[in-house]
Amino acid sequence: MIRILIVDDHPAMRAGLTAVLRAEPGFVPLDAATSEKDLWPTLNRTKPDVVVLDYHLPGDDGLVLCRRIKRQVPAPAVLLYSAYAEAALTIPARLAGADGLVSKSAPANELYDAIRRVARGERVLPPISRELLDDAGNRLSSEELPILGMTIEDTPLREIASTLGVEPAEIAHRIDRMIKRLKIDVPAPRAAG
Amino acid sequence: MTLLLMTRLLAAAVAVLLLLVHRVTPHDAELIVAGVAYTAGSLAVLTAVPRLQLAPAAWLADGALALALVAASEDWRSPFYVLMLTALILPSTGQSFRRALAWGLAFALAYLGVAVYTELDADTLESTIRLETIATHLMVPLVVVLALAYAADVLERLRDERLRSERLAVESERQRIAWELHDSAKQRVHAAHLVLSALQGQVDGAQAQLVGHALAELRAAGADMDTSVAELRTPLEGRSVERMLEQRAAELAPVSEAQITVRGTIGELPAHIAAHVYRIGAEALTNAVRHGEAEHVDVVLARNGSTATIEVRDDGRGLPAIRRPGSNGLRSMRARADTIGATLSLGPADGGRGTSVVLSLSTDPDPGSFTP
Repeated sequence: MIRILIVDDHPAMRAGLTAVLRAEPGFVPLDAATSEKDLWPTLNRTKPDVVVLDYHLPGDDGLVLCRRIKRQVPAPAVLLYSAYAEAALTIPARLAGADGLVSKSAPANELYDAIRRVARGERVLPPISRELLDDAGNRLSSEELPILGMTIEDTPLREIASTLGVEPAEIAHRIDRMIKRLKIDVPAPRAAG
Repeated sequence: MTLLLMTRLLAAAVAVLLLLVHRVTPHDAELIVAGVAYTAGSLAVLTAVPRLQLAPAAWLADGALALALVAASEDWRSPFYVLMLTALILPSTGQSFRRALAWGLAFALAYLGVAVYTELDADTLESTIRLETIATHLMVPLVVVLALAYAADVLERLRDERLRSERLAVESERQRIAWELHDSAKQRVHAAHLVLSALQGQVDGAQAQLVGHALAELRAAGADMDTSVAELRTPLEGRSVERMLEQRAAELAPVSEAQITVRGTIGELPAHIAAHVYRIGAEALTNAVRHGEAEHVDVVLARNGSTATIEVRDDGRGLPAIRRPGSNGLRSMRARADTIGATLSLGPADGGRGTSVVLSLSTDPDPGSFTP
């Protein structure tokens, strides 16, 4: 039994997701949240196993929200659900601590599969290609590269901090900045993605 | 031109009338013929060849002929004076304010020359009334130029302002439609696709086929919407085609095996044409990078007079003999080229290896510019 919280600002998407997840045995969709504002009460009340999180939300985007959710103890698995699940999102998603990344255009069984796997503690992220790393390397400073490398190798925050000799809070702050620099901009006035 | 036509006809009529009722010179009959010939001839030529209405050489010839008429009438207070002034209309409205003023000043001096040539003498300069008359005659060309150039300037600015606000209105409407397509319609398509895809594996046989078909349609609808959204946002917002192509090349670089270069410039193009040109170029570039298996992809932009060209050249495996299924990129490139009246040619690149896509477009100067 996997309990799932949906965060999406579009009503059709929320309704569709809830219906699809309810139809699948073993899944229990909980209340859906439309934005960060109603996410926290719902999250605290329902304690879901998996959060299916829209990438592009009004206000702070899914990556920022993902970071905040993953700071909860215990943190649910987070599956980023995006209309822009292009390879370019992989590194920012990884930095944000997302457990999975699924395209909104993927069929339901792919979504089911991804939810089951992240619920088991697995990662469902596309592999990080050489080109993506090079591109990220061009956009980050030389101080940030070791953080990226260690994050990709699943080094815990505390260890990264002690390796580099800085406070864990400072590392967290730097990761926030790196995400901002690497994330892809959604080219819309207020597009839901 | 309408202003010139009306005033010149009127001035010619006045001149002929004056020559008829008042004996000015011993050869009034010839003067009438010359005045009518000048009026009819100049108007006919300027109407037949509209290009001349904006040509300084034509203005100069027109002004010289008008001054010649005044000289021929042997008096600077000529019946052709007003007719002469009409030669100032085109130069006043067809160039910048400053240049128009300079032109008026030069014209007044030329008129002074004609006056000296005819019978402006010491006698005239001593008589206050005569002196005042010549001063007025010299001032009038300047006043005419000043008034006309000012009016033309104001009209031009009004027109620019109107164009700008129209463009803004269109632009904001496009943005709104793009946003709605993306924010609402596309989300619904995603939701429908997801819900329907949950049926896959639960139905079989003919029903499974139906579901598969519907899913394919929904995916195509989503892709169509992406294209539409991209197109609605195409106006390059003042950025040049080459800069946008450079940006596209930079986007493709991380996923490309090929070395991409963009060079040359295509010059100024009207916004909607530039948008299509960019999309065609970007599509050709994307195709070369994705399907060409090339080592080098070169985008060369050029402008030669009124002809603008873009060539996208690669050294890959060349055009496929059979179209890739589901590729409508080429079709949409052709459709775009047709829309803007450009020609698109595809073929093997120089040396027979790879593909060359050439878009060429004629950019005739806009004939709708302001003429009086």
